[in-house]
Amino acid sequence: MSPQAKNYTAHVLVSLILLSMLVIILFLTKGFIQDFFVNPPSYFIENSSIEEVYSKFIFIFIIIVIVLITFIFYLLLTFNSRYELNVWNEIKSLAVSKQQFKMLYDSAPIPYLILDKDGNINNPNKAALRFFGAYPEEIEGKNFFSYIAGEYADKAESFFQNYKSRLDINRKEVQMISKNGNIKSVMISIFDLHGPGSIEAQGLAIIIDITEQKIIEKAKTEFLSLASHQLKTPLATTRWYSEMLMTEGTGQLTNEQKEYIKVLHIANQNMIELVDVLLNISRIEMGSMSADSVVTNVKELSDSVVNELALQISNKKLNIKLEYNNLFENVKSDPKLLRIIIQNLVSNSVKYTPEGGIISITFKEDSKERMIIVADNGVGIPKDQQEHIFSKMFRADNVKSLSNSQGTGLGLYLVKSIAVSLGGDIHFSSEENKGSVFTITF
Amino acid sequence: MESTNNKIKILVVDDDSNLNNVLVDKLNISGFEAEGVLDGEIGLKRALEFHPDVILLDLVMPKIDGFEVLKRLREDSWGKGAKVIMLTLIDRMDSIAQAVDKNVAGYLVKTNFSLDEIVEEVKKIIKFPKS
Repeated sequence: MSPQAKNYTAHVLVSLILLSMLVIILFLTKGFIQDFFVNPPSYFIENSSIEEVYSKFIFIFIIIVIVLITFIFYLLLTFNSRYELNVWNEIKSLAVSKQQFKMLYDSAPIPYLILDKDGNINNPNKAALRFFGAYPEEIEGKNFFSYIAGEYADKAESFFQNYKSRLDINRKEVQMISKNGNIKSVMISIFDLHGPGSIEAQGLAIIIDITEQKIIEKAKTEFLSLASHQLKTPLATTRWYSEMLMTEGTGQLTNEQKEYIKVLHIANQNMIELVDVLLNISRIEMGSMSADSVVTNVKELSDSVVNELALQISNKKLNIKLEYNNLFENVKSDPKLLRIIIQNLVSNSVKYTPEGGIISITFKEDSKERMIIVADNGVGIPKDQQEHIFSKMFRADNVKSLSNSQGTGLGLYLVKSIAVSLGGDIHFSSEENKGSVFTITF
Repeated sequence: MESTNNKIKILVVDDDSNLNNVLVDKLNISGFEAEGVLDGEIGLKRALEFHPDVILLDLVMPKIDGFEVLKRLREDSWGKGAKVIMLTLIDRMDSIAQAVDKNVAGYLVKTNFSLDEIVEEVKKIIKFPKS
């Protein structure tokens, strides 16, 4: 008998008892009730003897006692079945949520697998079967880590050891092989289902297929590499051939011809610079230039930038102050990106500071952040245009009119993008004809 | 090329004939004995034949690329100590790291160096003992 049926039986039984008691009581008290309605209580008490009143009260008392006993009887009778009913309801809702969980697990679009203590596959969901391109019996019982393949095959063992020591594996990038031999790029996570206190491990493995993303990423990088190579080949050719023409020993040129070739050479150099900046911007925007943190000597980077600009600096008789304060000789950062930042800021200062000006590169550090400060006493940025200086292709009016400056309007946009991608930022203060101070934090 | 004079011998391996030509001319004008080849396979063969003092090696080439040339060169008993300067248009960090791993004497990005600067680099490297 189900707990519900038991409960109903108890209800019916008790209701019957109460009903029959009611009938008996009504029958026994027929005269009393008639009396009671015909004669109101005041009259009824005044006109009855003490004995009669007592006997009537005792009668009412007995009825109350009987009702109470019946109720207790009911509670006792249904105690067990009510308890069972609760349990039964609990079990039923548990079964519903288990079923919901199973549906969620089975039809989730993400491959899930349960692993036993040795990392063998139990109960792969549909997405996992699709991922491996296999029937359940083909992968059940096989070791999960044996499917780690490709470039990551040698890491399988260390992941397995990790799992055996019951350490969670969280979003680790590996490659896995499916039944038909396809290598797929994935992120795997494996969590211990029972927590570290339990005796035997059981893992929930989650696979996120990132093969598509990887292909797109690779295509982007390849496109940029190709574009870069194809764009730069003619630029290198023009650079070297114009240089050869200007070299003594390849025949005499007239002064006029020398001038023409010089212009050609400078225009080509500007083009090289522009292509470099454009490619770097594309790499950042397409996300194919990601910051690689390695031990970096920022002092050396800064020195190499200054050396590269030495000719322009000496031509303009600029005074360079380097205040490195013995800082940043080995910091974790991306040297290539950091160099692009320093290169752009310093070359801006060189471009936009008149002859005899002062440029300083200062390293500073406080408890929160590292700072590279590039300051000059050059032409500055007009107040009303300062808010635009990090936008793409923007050049302030006062530098557009400088005859000797060939800016692309992309430098500061690039610097800002890189600074942000390095987890830092850029700030500046500037006053027209007084100079600018750019501060990179990283 | 196998002449017995004591000029410093340089092999330029670059599939771009324009760049290759001007580089060979420049090196010859600068007092070196330079030979240019347009393909990695021939470059490797020539390197092992006449043991140049410095190899200027491009990266992106058809058939076998610069890294493959370098790899095969390093398998040779002479080649493993040969002085190689990578001269390429690729300026990606991973490519530079890969070259450094293979013990190259220099990594120059073509658009960032003038011919004069390249000659200077070659001279600098010749002064150092073999890596």
